[in-house]
Amino acid sequence: MRGFGELESAVMDCVWHAGGETTVREVLERLRQQRELAYTTVMTTMDTLHRKGWLAREKRGKAFGYWATLSREEYSARLMREALDDAENPDVVLTQFLKQMSDTDSERLRRVVHRWASEQDPP
Amino acid sequence: MTVATCLLLYALAVAVLAPRLLAPLTRSGAAPRLGVAVWLSASGSVLAAWLAAAGFLIWEVARAWRDPAITLTACVTTLESVVSGEAGGALQLGMLGLVGAAVLALTSVMWRWGRALVRARTRTHGHARMARVAGRHVPGVDAVVVDAPDRLAYCAAGRPHAVVVTTATLDALDRRHLAAVLAHERAHLSGRHHLLLAATRSLAAVLPRVELFTAAATEIARLLEMCADDVAARGHGRGTVLGALLTLSGAATVPAGVLGATSVGLLDRAERLLDPAGLAQRLQSRGILAATLTLLLSGPVVTAMLAAYDVTVCYPGA
Repeated sequence: MRGFGELESAVMDCVWHAGGETTVREVLERLRQQRELAYTTVMTTMDTLHRKGWLAREKRGKAFGYWATLSREEYSARLMREALDDAENPDVVLTQFLKQMSDTDSERLRRVVHRWASEQDPP
Repeated sequence: MTVATCLLLYALAVAVLAPRLLAPLTRSGAAPRLGVAVWLSASGSVLAAWLAAAGFLIWEVARAWRDPAITLTACVTTLESVVSGEAGGALQLGMLGLVGAAVLALTSVMWRWGRALVRARTRTHGHARMARVAGRHVPGVDAVVVDAPDRLAYCAAGRPHAVVVTTATLDALDRRHLAAVLAHERAHLSGRHHLLLAATRSLAAVLPRVELFTAAATEIARLLEMCADDVAARGHGRGTVLGALLTLSGAATVPAGVLGATSVGLLDRAERLLDPAGLAQRLQSRGILAATLTLLLSGPVVTAMLAAYDVTVCYPGA
């Protein structure tokens, strides 16, 4: 395990995989297929995820029932929105390999592509 | 007073002239790191001049407070003719108001800049954390993979940092190209480029009307991409980095004529990877940039010293 963030990620994986509501016990059993973990470790992690807003929970008898507040797809969409708005949004600082933006310099670009393509050709 | 005036004049000159003079020097990207240093020092030099001017003003006022006579004889020699004996108090009060306003404005700028930096850090770290949790781990890919139709590859600083690629990017790139892209992103992180970007971008956001700061933010972002390109090219070859750049932009796969999705610095970066600067051009570029850098770094100090020892520099008639 490489730090706390990784366990959070693995727990969210399990919760999303479970589909609906799940428990600490179920997540633990699933995680134990790959590694040895204590019940309390998983419980603490899920409690943290609840505090951070990733998981919602409700008391079911002695234990809590947990479920994800948003689907993985919804988080992905949110990430992409932030990443694509990066240019207008000075708050999220991302160094993008390439920013998507329209440009009229297509002729210059075509020349570059052409020369690059000819250099890539096998001799 | 004279020192502060000279410093403010210096700051004004740099703020107005630097965007026009520096842009042509750093455009080619022959020496991108020095280019970044020059833009940074131009911005820093203006900030330093403002702070120093405020410091001198406060010092002058404090001195005058104790001994009002000094103010009139030493500080406002040019105004002496219009100042009658009784006007001394009023003038001193006016000056105090002016100094107070200037110091307040500067404090407000620094405060808003600091807050913008903290906000940027929080949001970016939050993004990295969200990416790590919502993303997947794909065997053989040393990055977080997010399901998305956009071809994106980027990194977000955090604890730990996150290098993010989308599934669309994975589909578009072959193994070599992907390795080059990831090397590029890791170069950003190891070079701590996100700190420079955060500092320059939030300063530009706080003072959008100071052209130097907005120009510095844009140019530094462009030059940092070139720096990362260079690192990636050293490990994976210029052709591979260029190939990845063109593939991700859609330029290499989309038929000619429908090139829509390209990027600001894309052309400069692509042409630079295709035709890297020769040794002579690199040396020339470095020489000019190093000289500019020296000028900018010593600017506020020299200005203050000249003003302190020889008033005639700023007031030739005095």
